[in-house]
Order: sequence, then structure tokens, then C-alpha cells
Amino acid sequence: MRRLAAGSAVLVLVTAGAACASHNAGRDGPRLAVTGAYVPEPPMADMAAGYFTVVNTGTGADRLTGVTSDIATDVSLHTTTANGAMSAVKAMAVPAHGRLVLRTGGHHLMLMGLRRKPKTGDTVTFTLRFATSSPITVRAPVRPATYRPER
Amino acid sequence: MRALLRAPAPRTAVAVRLATAAALSLTAAACGGTSADGRPAPAATATPAGTAVRLDRPLPKPELILTDDHGHSFDLVKQTAGKPTLMYFGYTHCPDVCPTTMADIANAVRKLPSADRRRLQVIFVTTDPVRDTPRRLHTWLAAFDSRFTGLSGDFGAIQKAARSLGVAVEKPAKNADGAYTVTHGAQVLAFSPSDDKVHMIYTSGTTSQRYAADLPKLIKGTL
Repeated sequence: MRRLAAGSAVLVLVTAGAACASHNAGRDGPRLAVTGAYVPEPPMADMAAGYFTVVNTGTGADRLTGVTSDIATDVSLHTTTANGAMSAVKAMAVPAHGRLVLRTGGHHLMLMGLRRKPKTGDTVTFTLRFATSSPITVRAPVRPATYRPER
Repeated sequence: MRALLRAPAPRTAVAVRLATAAALSLTAAACGGTSADGRPAPAATATPAGTAVRLDRPLPKPELILTDDHGHSFDLVKQTAGKPTLMYFGYTHCPDVCPTTMADIANAVRKLPSADRRRLQVIFVTTDPVRDTPRRLHTWLAAFDSRFTGLSGDFGAIQKAARSLGVAVEKPAKNADGAYTVTHGAQVLAFSPSDDKVHMIYTSGTTSQRYAADLPKLIKGTL
């Protein structure tokens, strides 16, 4: 099952054409890779969302502390909490031997100050910054608004 | 929803219905994939479990008169009487759940025969009427389906209507850093044309396929 999941993650990665970077911050630190990044095509030109998964195969935890993008002047980390409130957060935990999943209805990026309206087929760049690990840059395809990643 | 839970709960049929709906919105929130402390849920539970819940006691359509996205007065009870209706409370400055939900519904609506498409009412009620003017609602909804109706107006009236349906809605709160915190239940309510009551509630994450399967039945009044 674990092997199957890993296989489909690779498949998503390949079909998404997303870049996957891996950094080792030391033998005992976090070891991060980013998969499945995408942006759903937004209804208007003033804001959009962004999603991806950060996989940590290392023995140390890390935190996603910020994201920048070529397409937006303002990218913030948002969480939809259990009571239905959507609010900005300063960082998101990437547990050791775990993953941080950004997806619709949960953690997500909010992109504002868009330089252009992302259209299906475009590619957006995200640079993820972490408390411990080096920054990781990924290319995220713009998907139709109804797109759901395979799980 | 917090306010709903805090409110005194007389043991009436209405209270029972509301409790059901409140429990449902908790379920919906649990689908959000974050645990109570806001940390990411383990990957094993990360699948958004979009579910449809049939109500044992259907909820009546609330009295609600607002302004539609063309700037005209819209009386929900009168103008949707006897029509199959989907209703959703959201806001356009919402990058995540709101556009996803509307896109999924629009995708399912496109698969309907044109006669069914004309009968079905899809109503998007803003929870952020200060920023969501009729004009903005119209532009935003047109990205999904120009036939969808956007409603804006008095926040108190919107909140009251939402609460009667067990949907948590709070006024957008501007934080010190200028960012907004917005609370809104993400359920989609399906009103039957047979009795104008909600028989089915779809939680956040319900797939377009599910809507496509259910809409013909909703339109016939057999859902």
C-alpha cells in the first residue's frame, strides 16, 4: 500500500510536470521534497489558490514559513480550521517522517496581487521557504477549477 | 456554528433539527483535514470525504429577501417556490473552498438536459456583503455559469437564514495585519421542488460526479 502510494505520487508528479527538489539539512535534520503542486484556474483575476504536498523523509521536523511566486506580489499561508474559519497562519508544520498537505478545504496558499490571471495550461513558480531546510522552487501547472489530484 | 452551539437549546423539533445540522457542519469541518490544533492531519486521513447527508427531518426554506447579482430585489421563498434549488453560503474573496464548490456544481449542471438546466436554481448567498456587491457577484459567478444567482444584502438577515439551516456564518473579521478571518459553513443545501425543503446536504469536498448523479433526481423531486 505504501509502495502503491509512492508510485502514484510519482505519477502525479510526472503528469503534473512539477519540479521536485530534495534537500538534506544534515543527517538528523528534515529531508524535504515537494510534489503535486498546482493552481486551480481562478474565477477572477484578483486572487487564486495554490496547493502542494511537502514530504519529509528526514528525522527532523521543519516548518514552512513562507512562499513567493512569480505570479503574485502577495502569497500567504492559510488554513481552514475545524470550526469553518479561514485564516492566515505564520507557518505550517512539516513533521519528521511525515508530510504537509495543502489541498482544497484545508491548508492552502492564497495568492493576491496577481500579475496576470492564471489560465489552464500555464505554469506558475513557487519558492517555498522553511525554518531549517533550504528554499525549494517548484513549477506548478494551472489546472481547471474542477481538478482534483489523485490520492 | 459556535454561536449556534452556545445558544440555549429548547427541546423542540426545531432544536433537534438544528442539532442535526450542527453535527453535520462539524462533520464537514472534520473533512477539512486539519486537527483541532491546526496541525496537518496524517496522510492516511487526508482524503476529503465529501459526503451527502439525507435529513430525516427536512428543513424549511428561510424567509430571505436580498438583492440579486443584477441589482434586483430577490425573494428567496417566492422566486424559488416549486423549483429545484441548490443553495450555498460563501464569499468571492475565497480562493479555496468557494470556487471549488461552484466549479464542481457548474460542471455537473453542464451535463444536464437544457430543460433541466433552466429549472434548476443555483443560489450563492454571500457571507461578505460589504465586499461582495451585486456587480462583483455577477462577474465572479459568470466564471462558473451565468445562470447562477448571487445574493447580497443585510448581513444579519443572511446569518439568520444560514443559522436556520445549520450553516455557520460569521461576519468577516479584519485582523491587525489587515488579513481577514472568514467563517462560513461550506455545505450545499438541496431544496426539493416537491415541498421547498432541504432533504439533502452536501458537505465540502463533494465531487462533481456526485452532483451529476443527484441533480436529475433533485430536479424530478425524487432525491
